[in-house]
Amino acid sequence: MATSKSDLLQGTLDLLILRTLSLGPLHGYGVSQRLQQLTRGVFHVNAGTFFPALYRLEEQGFLAARWGRSENNRRARFYSLTRAGEKRLADETRNWETVATAIGRVLRATEA
Amino acid sequence: MEAFSRLRALARNLFRPAARERELDEELRAYVDMAVQARVAAGMGAAEARRTVMAEMGKVDTVKEEVRAVRAGAGLESLGRDLALAFRQLRRAPAFAAAVVATLALAIGANAAVFSVIQAVLLAPPAYREPDRLMVIWSNLDLAGYKRAPLSGPELLDLREQARSFQDIAAIWTTTAQISGEGEPEQLRVGLATANFFSLLGVEPRLGRNFEPTEEGQGAPRVVILSDALWRRRFGADPGVIGRSVHMDGGSVTVVGVAPRELRLAFAPDANVPPELQAFAPFPSDHARDPRDQYYLRTVGRLSPGVSPAEAEREIAEIGARMEAEHTEYDASGRSFFAVGLQDDAVRPVRPVLLTLLGTVGLLLLLACVNVANLLIGRELARREQMAVRAALGATRGRLVRQVMVETLVLASLGLLAGLAVGQALLHLLVAFRPAALSRFGPERISLDAPVLAFTAGVGLVAAVVVSLVGLRGAMRHDPESVLRGGGRSGDDAPRRRMRRLLVVSQVALGTILLVGAGLLVRSFIALTQVDPGFHADRVLTFRLSLPRGRYRSVAASTEFARRLEDRLRALPGVEEVGAVSALPFDDLPNWSTPYTHDGVDPKSRGGREADARSVSPGWFETIGAKLVAGRGFEEADDGAGPPVVIVDERLAEKAWPGRDAIGQRLQVDFVTDQGFVPTWARVVGVVRHIRHRDLTEVVREQVYVPHRQSPRNPMAWALRTTGETRVEEATIRRIVAQLDGELPVYDVRPLLAYVGDAQGRARFTMVLCAAFAALALLLAAIGIYGVMSYSVTRRRREIGVRLALGARAGQVRRAVLGDGLGLAGTGLVVGLVGAALLTRAADSLLYAVTPLDPFTYAAVAAGLAAVAALASWAPARRATRFEPTEVLRSE
Repeated sequence: MATSKSDLLQGTLDLLILRTLSLGPLHGYGVSQRLQQLTRGVFHVNAGTFFPALYRLEEQGFLAARWGRSENNRRARFYSLTRAGEKRLADETRNWETVATAIGRVLRATEA
Repeated sequence: MEAFSRLRALARNLFRPAARERELDEELRAYVDMAVQARVAAGMGAAEARRTVMAEMGKVDTVKEEVRAVRAGAGLESLGRDLALAFRQLRRAPAFAAAVVATLALAIGANAAVFSVIQAVLLAPPAYREPDRLMVIWSNLDLAGYKRAPLSGPELLDLREQARSFQDIAAIWTTTAQISGEGEPEQLRVGLATANFFSLLGVEPRLGRNFEPTEEGQGAPRVVILSDALWRRRFGADPGVIGRSVHMDGGSVTVVGVAPRELRLAFAPDANVPPELQAFAPFPSDHARDPRDQYYLRTVGRLSPGVSPAEAEREIAEIGARMEAEHTEYDASGRSFFAVGLQDDAVRPVRPVLLTLLGTVGLLLLLACVNVANLLIGRELARREQMAVRAALGATRGRLVRQVMVETLVLASLGLLAGLAVGQALLHLLVAFRPAALSRFGPERISLDAPVLAFTAGVGLVAAVVVSLVGLRGAMRHDPESVLRGGGRSGDDAPRRRMRRLLVVSQVALGTILLVGAGLLVRSFIALTQVDPGFHADRVLTFRLSLPRGRYRSVAASTEFARRLEDRLRALPGVEEVGAVSALPFDDLPNWSTPYTHDGVDPKSRGGREADARSVSPGWFETIGAKLVAGRGFEEADDGAGPPVVIVDERLAEKAWPGRDAIGQRLQVDFVTDQGFVPTWARVVGVVRHIRHRDLTEVVREQVYVPHRQSPRNPMAWALRTTGETRVEEATIRRIVAQLDGELPVYDVRPLLAYVGDAQGRARFTMVLCAAFAALALLLAAIGIYGVMSYSVTRRRREIGVRLALGARAGQVRRAVLGDGLGLAGTGLVVGLVGAALLTRAADSLLYAVTPLDPFTYAAVAAGLAAVAALASWAPARRATRFEPTEVLRSE
């Protein structure tokens, strides 16, 4: 029920955050903007799930955070991928592709 | 890597929570600012931009809450919040919390206290070397009614020579001696022991040395080992005391050692070896020269390596049988020997008391758990709506379960803590009121120590688990929809209501068992207080005096002293009669018994008959109000100048001369003369009622009284029967004695009633405790019935309202509620009575003059419980009929 649904979403969100940050360090707002751009607005980032995900990834050691200055010279917390984070991203991407391919096959098979 | 990172995060979160919070605040502020700026840049007004962003983001607090929830250590933090919540909830229900904590505390405290006594007395071995290899040896003079007799000197020597199972055998006998010089003269309890006594026990003196074999026997140099207490008190803990000579009983004795401080003699109470003696000396006589039938040696042996206690028991029995055949002195005594483990023998009289108490507190704990479970279910039923609302508002099931669990654990922990305090207090009471049989085990050994704490924690844990399980079951069962739809009325609580009723039934059943047990003990105690011991103890004051053998060696000298003393005491205002006896009823001096024979018995043997002997003054029987059945009492004329006379009790008269007049018959018993113990033919001049002087509940042996003026013993106790109007002061007695002899210490000044109280001590102790626990059980059961009936009436308000509206009379409704309560109690009662019939058998040895199935007790408990159940249901029943039907129906 509720838990499994949020697990799926959470796993997806984690993957997207890691992928976003693989392009370079960003602050929280930057990550959320980039996500929206990359998904062309399909993913609307909700702060209530977005920040917990950031913090969890940081505590798990996939992200590193340090304070820096934004483009507008505002103090902000910049996140970057750690080595463990890179490995995690690779694993998760492979996982996702496997699952996506499998699901795609199932869906096509049903249509045929 | 990941684990390490989580650990670092955990440390940060736990130790610098404020910094983490500030960081989060700042980051969220930055996020909002950037979002607003972006919108402003896109052409939106600043205020509107901020509003939009805030709306999109949702409540900042919620975001923070969510972030906190994913942090490492979130569980601990939220445990803290759960604890705080639990305390808040409990503060809002103080009566409930207090009831649960008090119930648990009382039960856990009672268990802790009783178990600490059991630990110290039954489980902890005495402080000797390999105490489980020590056995005491008794002789059983079955036909003479003397089932645990000490041994005689020749018997000890025979055993030492023949018994292969024992590497060594030692013996002790207690007496008194006077110490003088260096301070006030003082009367000491002295243990006369075989030279090997301490080395056999494995007790090393704290100073000096143990006795040497050459220091025992006639003509040996006189030496003494002081107790630690005497050494501190009288010798100022001077280490130089070793080798010094002290005056004892007029002679000079060399101190060779000081006993260790923790030394206690672990003999059974009926061995009459007090646990603490003030000094020890080797026997000054040769055991080989003792008469074979003078029984006085309390004997203990150490098993040879590799020999089992059972083997030793067999060998001792065999040796006994051989001796019985060899010596004609044993003719009709049915003599046998038996060996028994030292600790087993010592704890024999207290074991049933302690096991009964353990059973009682165990049942009490069970009852307390049931009570708490019942209270929890009641609370859960009452909180159903609150929980349902929380569940509907999104609290997960796990969250609710956790909250209930935390709450019950808080209750259990509080109960455990309070229980330790209760246990400590109860222990003080137990130790303060312990019977003599228990005081043989040092009170300093009875404490809430590590094993006791472990036991208590175990008990508390079991209680907590039971309690939590009940709480959890409730929380898991909630189905918010049905509860809310039912307007908090219906809901599916039928299983829990049945459970509660079952719990009440078991409460009543457990309470019944405890009440029956306590009732039987109360009946026993009452019977005990009504036992006619053959004398009247009230208004009799007693004290002891010991005449130093040096100055009062002859019978004439002690007679002279006693006559002058008694004359002066009799002249005191308020004194009606004065008498003297060699041993007071129920005191702890070694019993004196004598073999006896009479005309018509084979003169070669003394018949193997043994009677308790007492030396008494002419006024003794009058002083204690003992009844003369035939003949006369002793007179002053029955002294050294007159012919030897004795007085016997009814039992001896009946046994020796059945159907005939005892007066004028000849009887041979031991007289104490200037030459020591001498078998003497004497005329029976009187017959008295049997006096119970060693045990209130058992008629032990026949008794014979010898006149003090012909056969004095030392020490003697004097007794004064007073009018009760004028108090006789201890100082007055001391002054009178000092006027006669300035060097005689007066000691043990006590009312005779205090000795009788000692004899009732064990029964009183057991009864008071069990009665207190049973009263507690009754209270808990009553609370249980009240709680359930009360809830049931509230729940059935509507139904009752309808019935009243339809014309049911108040009386009918009241009867229905009352009937329901009584039905519950009745079921519990029946179960409890059956349980009691099965369980009280175990305490049979503690009962006196009442059987474990005593119908009166069972009937009284049934009636009492029914009354309490009626009382507990009465208030809810009355409340039921006070409902205003219209009001009830309108409120629905």
